[in-house]
Amino acid sequence: MTSSLKISNLVKKFGGLVATDNLSFVVKEGQSVGLIGPNGAGKTTVFAQIMGEHRQTSGSIELFGREISNDTTPERIRRGVSRTYQVPRPFSDMSVLENIRVGLMPNNLWQMIASKPRREKETELALSVGFLESDLEKTPGELSMGDLRKLEMARTIATGTKVMLLDEVFAGLTVAEIAQITQVIQKMRKDGMTFLIVSHDLKALEPLIDHVIAINHGSKIAEGGFNEVMNDADVRSSYLGVV
Amino acid sequence: MNLRWTHVVMWLAFVALMFAIPEFVSKGTLRTLIFANFLAIFAISWDVLSGRTGYISFGHPFLIGIGAYTSAILTKRFDVPIEFAIPAAVVMTMIGGIIVFLPALRIKGSYFALVTLAFMELMYQLVQVIRPDLTGGTRGMSGVQTLTRGAVNGYYLSVSLMLAVALSMWLLMRTQLGTALSAVGMNEESVRGSGLSTTKLKLFAFLTSAFVAGLGGAFYVHYLGSIAPRALFDINFLFTIIVAALIGGASTIIGPVIGAFFLTFLLEYLRPYLPGAERYFIYGLIALLLYMYEPKGLIALIDKGWQRLRGAADRKETV
Repeated sequence: MTSSLKISNLVKKFGGLVATDNLSFVVKEGQSVGLIGPNGAGKTTVFAQIMGEHRQTSGSIELFGREISNDTTPERIRRGVSRTYQVPRPFSDMSVLENIRVGLMPNNLWQMIASKPRREKETELALSVGFLESDLEKTPGELSMGDLRKLEMARTIATGTKVMLLDEVFAGLTVAEIAQITQVIQKMRKDGMTFLIVSHDLKALEPLIDHVIAINHGSKIAEGGFNEVMNDADVRSSYLGVV
Repeated sequence: MNLRWTHVVMWLAFVALMFAIPEFVSKGTLRTLIFANFLAIFAISWDVLSGRTGYISFGHPFLIGIGAYTSAILTKRFDVPIEFAIPAAVVMTMIGGIIVFLPALRIKGSYFALVTLAFMELMYQLVQVIRPDLTGGTRGMSGVQTLTRGAVNGYYLSVSLMLAVALSMWLLMRTQLGTALSAVGMNEESVRGSGLSTTKLKLFAFLTSAFVAGLGGAFYVHYLGSIAPRALFDINFLFTIIVAALIGGASTIIGPVIGAFFLTFLLEYLRPYLPGAERYFIYGLIALLLYMYEPKGLIALIDKGWQRLRGAADRKETV
């Protein structure tokens, strides 16, 4: 298995605050990795650096063996990495299909003018994440939190991503919605998608991951199988609150 | 592009109506309509940028002024033929559009609006002090070559230009590019997160908006035959453009056209009763009420009325 995403000695400083402290890890192709840690541990900052939303202070980020640190966010997305956000960010006045359309668009102004929307593909993506035909013309204001998360996943898949970063994908969801999102992720895993998943809902996270990385204060404190990491003394004291 | 036969019919009807108007109205009304046509062009220009992308421009007269002054100076001071002066004015305005675009790389919201307002004020001051031999200083320029003579010809010129601009912008905004520009207005970070370059999209919106503003400004000065900095770089002129776009329905292209006609005729009909600036109080009040009860503007009211009519017709058929 070759590496999809390789983070080496990543450091991010905000003034005097070290948000990411010499962090290194690898996510192999087709693997699903959990990234856990207490609030403020720096998980979302890691995502932001992978996507180029924050430029790292030092260290490198490789995607499929290629350094992407100097690429812009849209360039990184076109190379195959994409993310969802803790708080979904839909296009509020657009329908479900139009939201997905934005993810499918070519990053070329002329092609945007000349090419027609791929309505069949939009529908296929919407249905693949669990939307019903009757939901397709709804706007985000009419959707539940679970639907908003599905919409964000569908738009992310639409960009042609091969590595998906999911940030708190279960936050604010009902038990039924968690089960539905879990099903979608499991299906995508079977289809070969690579995942890096941040979640505080460890129960929901466990069946979705091959192994887990725990971080605190921006640096790695444990890595391994789910049970192994949960029993790690540092993880238990800093994250689980068990001594 | 999602085009239906009803769109074609409605556009044909609109064009036919606009071209038939001179047969039925007085020359005085035609002159009002000419101003409405130019206001519609300026409001479309504002809509392409601010209505779509959410970057509220308070400096549109800056762009219109570049177009108007460039063409006036080239024709009057350098005897450049008008057919070369207008394209040159449009190019200059697009360069001005890039200047307005630069702050948009770093700032947005009210900060961006204030910076664009500063551009307008700066332009107002500059044209008065820098090379007044070219710009005419505080008094502006008169005796600028005109393209047409008489209200009827002026009307046909302005309405042709307005219709060409409105139709081309309407078609452009119905493509995926229009959707992407609207997406920038709704959530710029998500557009970037969808793999699209927001810098490219915004630059396109600024350039297109400047193109329309420059074209409108240049034709406007060659209709009026004069230009005065006080009238052009005026806060009332700026707000008339913005209110026309908002009252009609921002981000729709057709809305600003409806808004421009509504506003122009409202101000015109109020003139005998309120000859002074009080008129602006009335139109401000109407704009406020409309914006409170139907933020999507007159076009949304028309659409609702149309849907109700269709609903009533459908019910009648079923009965």
